[in-house]
Amino acid sequence: MKVFIDPPNSLILFDLVERFGHEPLGTMAPIQERIDKTEVDMPPMNVSLDDVVKGLKYAGVEVPSGIRGRLALWGPLIEAADAALIMEDPPFNFGCVGCERSNEMAKYLIRRRGIPALTVRYPDDKEEAVMTVGRIKEFLEGLK
Amino acid sequence: MSEERETRIFMISPDSMITPDQLVREVHAMGKEVTAKETCYGTLVEGPRPLVGEVLAIIRERYPYDIYSKVRAYPTGDRRRCRAEHGTRPGYAQLEAEWEMLPLIQHGIRCSENGERPAVPKEKEKLPLEEFKKICEAC
Amino acid sequence: MIKIAQLSCGSEYSSVQYEIEKAARSVGAKMVYPDVSYADVNNAVKRFGFNPRSPQLKLMIARAVQLADEKYDADAVFISTCFRCAEAALVRNELRRFIQDNTRLPVVTYSFTERLKAAQLLTRMEALVTIVSRKDLLARERQTGLTVGIDSGSSTTKALIMENNKIIGKDWTPSGDVVQTATTVLENALKEAGVEFKQIEAMGVTGYGRFTLGKHFNAKLVQEELTVNSKGAVWLADRQRGEATILDIGGMDNKAITVRDGVPDNFTMGGICAGASGRFLEMTSKRLKIEIDELGKLADKGNWRNAKMNSYCSVFGIQDLVTTLSEGKTFEDVAAAACHSVAEQVYEQQLQEIDIRRPVIQVGGTSLISGLVTAVGEVIGEKPIVPPNSQYIGAVGGALLSSGFL
Repeated sequence: MKVFIDPPNSLILFDLVERFGHEPLGTMAPIQERIDKTEVDMPPMNVSLDDVVKGLKYAGVEVPSGIRGRLALWGPLIEAADAALIMEDPPFNFGCVGCERSNEMAKYLIRRRGIPALTVRYPDDKEEAVMTVGRIKEFLEGLK
Repeated sequence: MSEERETRIFMISPDSMITPDQLVREVHAMGKEVTAKETCYGTLVEGPRPLVGEVLAIIRERYPYDIYSKVRAYPTGDRRRCRAEHGTRPGYAQLEAEWEMLPLIQHGIRCSENGERPAVPKEKEKLPLEEFKKICEAC
Repeated sequence: MIKIAQLSCGSEYSSVQYEIEKAARSVGAKMVYPDVSYADVNNAVKRFGFNPRSPQLKLMIARAVQLADEKYDADAVFISTCFRCAEAALVRNELRRFIQDNTRLPVVTYSFTERLKAAQLLTRMEALVTIVSRKDLLARERQTGLTVGIDSGSSTTKALIMENNKIIGKDWTPSGDVVQTATTVLENALKEAGVEFKQIEAMGVTGYGRFTLGKHFNAKLVQEELTVNSKGAVWLADRQRGEATILDIGGMDNKAITVRDGVPDNFTMGGICAGASGRFLEMTSKRLKIEIDELGKLADKGNWRNAKMNSYCSVFGIQDLVTTLSEGKTFEDVAAAACHSVAEQVYEQQLQEIDIRRPVIQVGGTSLISGLVTAVGEVIGEKPIVPPNSQYIGAVGGALLSSGFL
């Protein structure tokens, strides 16, 4: 099954979803699609102007361009996902997940779609880590 | 995902004894038509998607707890992402942070493979205002 | 290669990163990102004292701290975030202040939309490069020899001739064909100075038409208007040493520049709409059926409070103007209200992005509109200095700096 991961650029979540037998949907694939486009003379850095305009599907023009650009990448992935795995409060959130408003909106879009979603908190210690990984494993193995 | 190219980050957990150099040599020794570039945290493997997938499967089997992986959008050595070219991109800090966290995940995976059952975490509630008021008044 | 440190949020997801890098490249500079480790981020945020929710803004803070601590080597700083993001606007401005307090690096701030093109950043990037690469030239305080400066602006073209640190001829005219109008004002200025073109030892050109004119006249100095105007302004106001703020409300865009010993260290440039520029005052004069140079005096006699203009758009602003006139308000009050509206917008849009340093020197063609100067004074709490020949700053700067090549 296709599982959207949030944060969508997380190595840990990408690895766990793949490890437990599913296809992770993250930011990397749509960015690769864009930068590999050979017909573009100078491939864009992550997104193109068209993408930011397409982002209007998810947020109005009064919303900063950086949010619309991100949502243009994530929106179609969330729409294509069969399930989602969300990690809250990760101590890492850089790169495409550098904007907190975009991150909140991504979580909301997942909820709005009503697909099976597991939300886990980032573990603070070993005990919590066992719990977190265990819950993720259980969730992913339970997806059919 | 492009069928022509897949670039994958393989990151070695800080708790592991495997070195990036060793990992690169192992990838080379697999004899697949992929390139492997040593990085501070492990290696970047690039090649046709099915071959990179084969490399991933072998590494997973050999080092189920030590090495973690995700795909990367930009090809190896892309000038737009290259640290030597103009300093680090934001994603670098993200990877660094995740790298530091890998021992916790490593521990979690080990335990869960050993059949430990996860407990559902308790939601922490805020102290009721009345109680807080009492405490304040008592001080 | 001049290294411009980029502290930004959102540029890579707004499709503008390539444009930023292109603008830098075209002026011989390179964008760089101060290296930070993950551990640096948390420490830097704690030290800075502002903890934004968005991690990319935290990263910006950490990068600024690297620059302040001289752990990363750069020549100038470009701070940029998405337009309309409140959190980023707060961080952007506070980081600009932090950089200015802790380094001597020239800094420029900019908020972008996805429509940003490299051309919009060119003048800003060029100014950063000039400040770094022409330090010695910009330190020049006296004009020597016989030189001419031409300022080819969006509204007017000015030429001015200087000899041994004195102005000996000048002329201006509304801009038309770049070369033609420049030639006309140059000829008139030469006539007034009583010298022949062949006697001129050096020429400096600035403004929108600088590249065309530089080629046509084979000028010694072709330089953007931010640094040239600053030099011209401090020379005219006799404030070559110490700090000052230069305010130039232009025909299409406005400039607010803070200077230290005549060299800019921070500037904002632009105008989101024509409602905050000299163009609005032109439109107002047309509607009042008076010449633009009468508008200021008229405004001096009026009271803006009697004819409030609530809109910041030049279209709706003119509508307000029509309404107030139809309500029977006096021309004087309406003229004052138009001046006040421009001053208020300049304060809100430009002066918020810099820290005003006293004295404020108001220059450019609009500084001749006395009502506007009064309005700016009211808004910022101190009447600006308007030096003689204040509309000739670019041309003076061009003549002064080009003498450095003799």
